[in-house]
Amino acid sequence: MRDRSIVLKMQTAMFALVVLLTVSGSHQVQAQFIHPKIKSKEVTIRRVVVMPARVNVVRDSMKGPEGMAAESEQLSQRVEAMITEVLSKKKNVTTLTATAPSAEGSGDSQQKYNVADFQAKFDDLLPKIMKKRSDVKKGRFSMGDEVLNLNLDKDADAVVFIRGSGKKLTGGKTAFRMLVGGTPAFLGLQIGIVDARNGEVLLYTDPVFTGDPTTAVDRLRKALEKGFKKLPDVKP
Amino acid sequence: MAMCPRKPTNLIVAALCSCILFTSLSPFALAQKKTAPVEATPPPVREEFKFGEVDLEVLEQADLLDRRFDREGLVLADEAANVYLRTIGMSLVPRDLELERVKWNFRALRDPQPNAFALPNGSIYVTTGLMALLDNESQLAAILAHELTHVMRRHTYVHNRSNRKKFLTMNVMAAVGAYAPGGIVGAVIMVVTTVAPFIMIATIYGYSRDLEREADLKGIDMMISAEYAPEEMVNVMKLLKTDIEGENIRLFYNDHPALEERIKYLSSYLGARADRVTHEMELHRERAAYFKIVEPVMRHDLQLALNAGRVRSAVYLAQRLLDFHEDSENLYWLAESYRTLGPRSAQLTEKELTNSAKKDAAKNRLKRTAEEEERDLLLSQAGKDNWQKHQQLAEQLYQRALSAENPVPVAHRGLGLLYEKLGRGAEAVAAYQKYLELSPSAVDRQRIQRRIETLKEKPQ
Repeated sequence: MRDRSIVLKMQTAMFALVVLLTVSGSHQVQAQFIHPKIKSKEVTIRRVVVMPARVNVVRDSMKGPEGMAAESEQLSQRVEAMITEVLSKKKNVTTLTATAPSAEGSGDSQQKYNVADFQAKFDDLLPKIMKKRSDVKKGRFSMGDEVLNLNLDKDADAVVFIRGSGKKLTGGKTAFRMLVGGTPAFLGLQIGIVDARNGEVLLYTDPVFTGDPTTAVDRLRKALEKGFKKLPDVKP
Repeated sequence: MAMCPRKPTNLIVAALCSCILFTSLSPFALAQKKTAPVEATPPPVREEFKFGEVDLEVLEQADLLDRRFDREGLVLADEAANVYLRTIGMSLVPRDLELERVKWNFRALRDPQPNAFALPNGSIYVTTGLMALLDNESQLAAILAHELTHVMRRHTYVHNRSNRKKFLTMNVMAAVGAYAPGGIVGAVIMVVTTVAPFIMIATIYGYSRDLEREADLKGIDMMISAEYAPEEMVNVMKLLKTDIEGENIRLFYNDHPALEERIKYLSSYLGARADRVTHEMELHRERAAYFKIVEPVMRHDLQLALNAGRVRSAVYLAQRLLDFHEDSENLYWLAESYRTLGPRSAQLTEKELTNSAKKDAAKNRLKRTAEEEERDLLLSQAGKDNWQKHQQLAEQLYQRALSAENPVPVAHRGLGLLYEKLGRGAEAVAAYQKYLELSPSAVDRQRIQRRIETLKEKPQ
């Protein structure tokens, strides 16, 4: 369970990051942390399975933030597709189909449960990673070999988990921000790449960019390209 | 005017008469006090309610939420459990009741945290965690009656209209962050927040105290009409007060309005209807019937609880299940719970249940992984003792599960995992192999095969 104060600290850190972005005039920042096995080339990521992204955007108006359910779903799909594109074009990493039929009888619902439970497991691990991201470099984080229960394609090297949150400002709020100050529109992503055989977290990156998350497609692409910069290219 | 002379005999007679009158009337007065007038509750349906644009927005969000829960694998696809919920729910809804834009839908949500909520479109969700914690059907009826009242009295819309601005100014993301524990619990809250932040806040904090009180009291009325034991509403509140995990989380069903206060006013409301209190034997019978029907849900919830690290809850629930019905599968679940409990204590001490201790525990959970927590605990003598005790218990229970009638193959897997952790490689391989032999199409076949390979590669 997350403790309120710690979560608030994380949010303060995110706020500070966005403010830093605004002040510096830059549009993107990202940090990447890579497992020693990737650095030493003991493990190479050639083929991945991308799990459904969960990106949430809110509309910040003068009344306060409101949910944007439909836009959040569209953005989740766009982020997922763009990560696939960036990994393929820039790193020659192939994306495989997400789910294979489950082995035992109960079929569809069992597969749904497996995916849901594993996504939940990542949600449980994410705050721990965010708390000390540099520990990814020490190989501290793992989701366990239950990852094999997903029964993914046997050729899959890794599984990609995507989370994100962003804010879109209304006209009134933008004008208010220009006069009084405050956080701009932004999108922050948390992406984890997990070994498909033993569940070790091989890469963690959290690109952030300022701009309307629902329309800034190019900024999103650039942020992702930079976010995966340290991931070694696969030789074709 | 001539004055009547006062005779002392008259005075004595008058005094005696007043004494007789007082003594004959006082039982009536006391009886009246005992059966104090029952608190008036409003009619079951808010007839005057008319849909506006704002309400239709909320309705749309509720429909979207239903679809998301289903799509993301959060709804329990157990037809029997959902039919059972529907049967109880529909028995509580007044006959011939037609509500505009309401379609009753009762479903179990895969979430180990005890909770329940109603969406304004008539969808009522009860978590597997709550179903596993309850003792009988009347208690489940109490939960459903409470939630049904929220829909019938249009509480979501009323609350949304009156609090919209106030809630919008709240930092929704902060609320999610603070109340998003890991595991499936977090997933449910995340989905609700993305789709309908307002509904998320109402679900977590509850509606206003007046509306919740109304739902509680109307719930009792509905239970009585459907011939459920109304006092079980109070017993549900008492059950929910049990803090097994020492969590610093405050969902509606464990906080708002404070459970103590709810117990107090519900008992007082019920006090006026004491004649309705059900015979204990009847409740025992009902408990057995409830456990029989909900057993598969309870088992499913045990897995969710173990996944979410709610290990103490798992031990508690598995023990309850085993006390009810001893069979191979229930023995296996208790063994699994003890194995996962590892070096942790089975029950929290009073000191660990203080607010500051809970806060510290929450901080630690955020910092450490489950493996790191176990490693740290094993440094202490108490942790080592717990570890030894729980592993022994787990082994005995696995063995009992395997020697019971119709043994479940997963008990071999459990034994394998236990032996592997204890460094008994050869025994672990044998147990894993037996599991795969008995369960050739197991969903975790790949995982177990890999474990066997790794163990065989290791020098003995």
